[in-house]
Amino acid sequence: MSDAFSTALENTLTLKVLLVILVSASYGLFVGAIPGLTATMAVALMVPFTFFLDPISGLAAIVTMEACCIFAGDIPTTLMRIPGTPSSAAYVDDAYSLTRQNRHQETLGVSLVFSVIGGLVGALVLICLAPQLARVAFEFSSYEYFWLCVLGLSCAAVVSRGSLAKGLLALSIGLLLSCVGLGSTHSVPRLTFGFDELITGINFIPAMIGLFGLAEVLRNFSNLVPDAPSATGTTPAIGNWLCRGIGEVFGGIGKRLSKSGSRILTSSAIGSGIGMLPGAGADIAAWVSYAVSKRRAAPEAKDDYGKGSLDGIADATTANNASLAGAWIPALVLGIPGDSVTAIVIGVLLMKNIQPGPGIFLDPAQLPLVYGIYITFILANLLLIPLGFLAIRAGSLIIRIPRQIILPLILMFCIVGAFAINGSYFDVGVMLVMGLLGVVLERFEVPAGPVVLGIILGGRLEESLVQSLTKSNSLLAFFERPVAAGLGLLCIALWLTPLIAWIKGQCSGISESE
Amino acid sequence: MNRSVQNPPLRIGKPRLPILAGLLLTVIGTLAGCQKSTEYPSRPITLVCPWAVGGGTDRVSRQMAVFLESELGTPVNVVNAIGGQGVTGHSRGIRSKPDGYTISMMTLELSMLHWRNLTDLTWEDSAPLMSLNEDPAALFVRSDSPLQTIKELEAEIKSRPGELKASGTAALAAWHLALAGWLISLNQNPTDVIWMPSTGSAPSLQELMTGDLDLVCCSLPEAKSLLVSGDIRCLGVMADERQASVDFKDFPTLNEQGSAWTLTGWRGLGVAKDTPPEIQQRLVAVLRRIVSGEARVNGESFPEFMDHQGFDHTSRPTTEFADFLKRNDEMFGTILNRPEFQAVQSGPVGAIVFPNLAAGMLGLSLITILVGARRRAGVAILRDFSGAVPKGESSPSGHSASSTSRRAILLSGSVVAAVVFYILACDMLGFVATSVAILFVTSKLLGARVLTAAAVAIVASTGIYELFSSLLRVPLPLGLFW
Repeated sequence: MSDAFSTALENTLTLKVLLVILVSASYGLFVGAIPGLTATMAVALMVPFTFFLDPISGLAAIVTMEACCIFAGDIPTTLMRIPGTPSSAAYVDDAYSLTRQNRHQETLGVSLVFSVIGGLVGALVLICLAPQLARVAFEFSSYEYFWLCVLGLSCAAVVSRGSLAKGLLALSIGLLLSCVGLGSTHSVPRLTFGFDELITGINFIPAMIGLFGLAEVLRNFSNLVPDAPSATGTTPAIGNWLCRGIGEVFGGIGKRLSKSGSRILTSSAIGSGIGMLPGAGADIAAWVSYAVSKRRAAPEAKDDYGKGSLDGIADATTANNASLAGAWIPALVLGIPGDSVTAIVIGVLLMKNIQPGPGIFLDPAQLPLVYGIYITFILANLLLIPLGFLAIRAGSLIIRIPRQIILPLILMFCIVGAFAINGSYFDVGVMLVMGLLGVVLERFEVPAGPVVLGIILGGRLEESLVQSLTKSNSLLAFFERPVAAGLGLLCIALWLTPLIAWIKGQCSGISESE
Repeated sequence: MNRSVQNPPLRIGKPRLPILAGLLLTVIGTLAGCQKSTEYPSRPITLVCPWAVGGGTDRVSRQMAVFLESELGTPVNVVNAIGGQGVTGHSRGIRSKPDGYTISMMTLELSMLHWRNLTDLTWEDSAPLMSLNEDPAALFVRSDSPLQTIKELEAEIKSRPGELKASGTAALAAWHLALAGWLISLNQNPTDVIWMPSTGSAPSLQELMTGDLDLVCCSLPEAKSLLVSGDIRCLGVMADERQASVDFKDFPTLNEQGSAWTLTGWRGLGVAKDTPPEIQQRLVAVLRRIVSGEARVNGESFPEFMDHQGFDHTSRPTTEFADFLKRNDEMFGTILNRPEFQAVQSGPVGAIVFPNLAAGMLGLSLITILVGARRRAGVAILRDFSGAVPKGESSPSGHSASSTSRRAILLSGSVVAAVVFYILACDMLGFVATSVAILFVTSKLLGARVLTAAAVAIVASTGIYELFSSLLRVPLPLGLFW
């Protein structure tokens, strides 16, 4: 074991590997910060390059890029209200509200530090428990996945800004949109209204860009009051710019860290736990963690959720980064990909003649590679602090650009982001319709977050429901397995608590709480 | 596009100048992109992959792109046009402009989608270039299953029809038909084994491991990890002969166990039907070098790569490939036209169950909101449902209310018009010209100065184009004038 570890250290801490890590970190930050480009896409674009690299450099590149990508997604989320990745959608309203209060640097600072911590804890879980935890995935059949999807969706509806009924409304809209096209389990085109393009269904990336990004552009175009933070002060010299930036970005982070020990543990555990289940990833993790965070918050802090809660952002971002390493657990141990990125990783491993599976931990020739992956996870997250800081400072310049210049550019990025994912004009149209829907929803104070999660999870929810019903006709089967029963009861409790409170409120004639 | 949003931003303030300047810039941008095309290939090629990033077909496509790029000396970018169980990608690739700049990765699904009335596209709409691999379907059980051979499985199905559960893909997709075809060949009803629809082999194998399924039907490479770790066992391979690769050579075929049924998943390349013959010949010549292993990138050949990934690399040259496609198509026609499949199509849980549930929830939440609003003061209904201004906004000072709202509507209209303009014009004008026009006109409408707006529009548009096309390898439209 120690031999393999020192070999791994030797192999990893070479100039070449470190250079690869640095380059892929910058690349990952860059791609993640562009709306519409996902971590999966960044990794897929990288695959032909890994062909030229030795296995450890190739895997180091992927690990680093993924970690940086998910954090970088928070930058457009915070500054432009365009979620860079779906996992940022849980806290887009919080982050953007803070930007409108001119607190974007502080927000991104919190998001960076907690992303790094989440990433590190996730890596530790992977290092210490991978072989033991991997078999847990085999405890999850369609019943458990059904409840897990319900749990993720319920969290989104229950915690979102506005009333419970409005959260439910948003969720139903998302689920209905997810039904469009040829379902994953059925072979019948649905709700296509004769449009051939709709057979494909509605891609959530253009939908997300439309609901948040384009809706914001539309709102800004129609409302010329300068409500976004305006330029403060003149642009200082570069050295000064960086030094003062440290205060602006990381100020107050020490205090926040010292009082959030247990929150970090909870969020990381949620992240790693959900991340290691195949097919459930950073998006569900972020929503569940956000909901748990809101539930645990002090009554006076609860009101901030959805309007700019740094605690909520911190907890959700910890969980989504912790989930990344989690997805590697089933991939390495069982060869079953935990998410789309690890699906590519398995491909890269196979290309290098390495067969993922339990054998990889027993074969002395391959063990250094596994340790190498562990070391890269830690290095990548540590490197994220300085690079992420630079990205935050550079990104914050966006806020200083005059609105008549930046708004058209954001509009163009919405269009290109929607177009680039599939090279389809239809997706651009979807983005437009979703943008208009976003404006309507905002008028009626219906949250947009649950709509996005509904579109993302709708397919998976339907699949697990149809599978479960195909396997057994009895509804009791949903509670027969212990894990399923536990998750099911949790979901029911989640809905009953606010419902009872709401009914009580109705009975005593008090208006429902906002 | 079928939407008709006509909201031209043409009537605001002083309309002429920005519009005219915008048109001028568009023309300049278009001309700047002009370049005489000489010999094929003179610009980047797009390879359309009908399946998602990270899957088997995607891996083959991306690797193929690397080899094509080094052989043709021009960038080859992979675009994943996914969805519709392959309809989207196949139509995009095969129905592209017949100029050889869009190559289509075709898979087994091309032979069956039209039989299921999902598209009218068939292999005959394409010009097949070469097939790249053939991975047979196989049947897998968990290692602790009592079933050891295909005969035992057959006996089990016959003694307990409608009780065993299997999966591997969506209902009626490739591996479902593989199993159904085998059952038909045994004179069994295809519904004698319940097919649990799933999104692919990975989730199916996991369900097999949880113990909820008895059988999985998928291709050999998809099951390789669990085969190697000894968690699952292969009962039979649906091929004429045993596989050549080391990992799979020990698995018996159905044929040698007395069950004559074969089904093979294949992948191949094609272009639009009317592509000039000299371009087709050029591509075939290059492909021949690649599949024969003559072309090497970084010391490795394409067959070696396929071996490492666990993929078979049987390839068929153009005419043989076309002949194979014809037979493949007929075979799926025979299976899918059987009356038994009508029963399979409906399934125990209909396609409309879930949308109905979602719609029910939508209705319920709307009613709750309305009832809640009514119970509150009448004003509250107004606040909720008559378009109240979101909190934190006030009308801007210095303008009269009506002119402000008119301007607001026109400005939002310009955003809508810009997106519609992109959809309609981008393919023709190319990305750079379209983007210059959008950026210039919108920032001019928002009150930027002409010079600033023009400079930003040109710099940003070319910047975005270079960023996506060169650095990120995501192709943006070039325009017709190239």
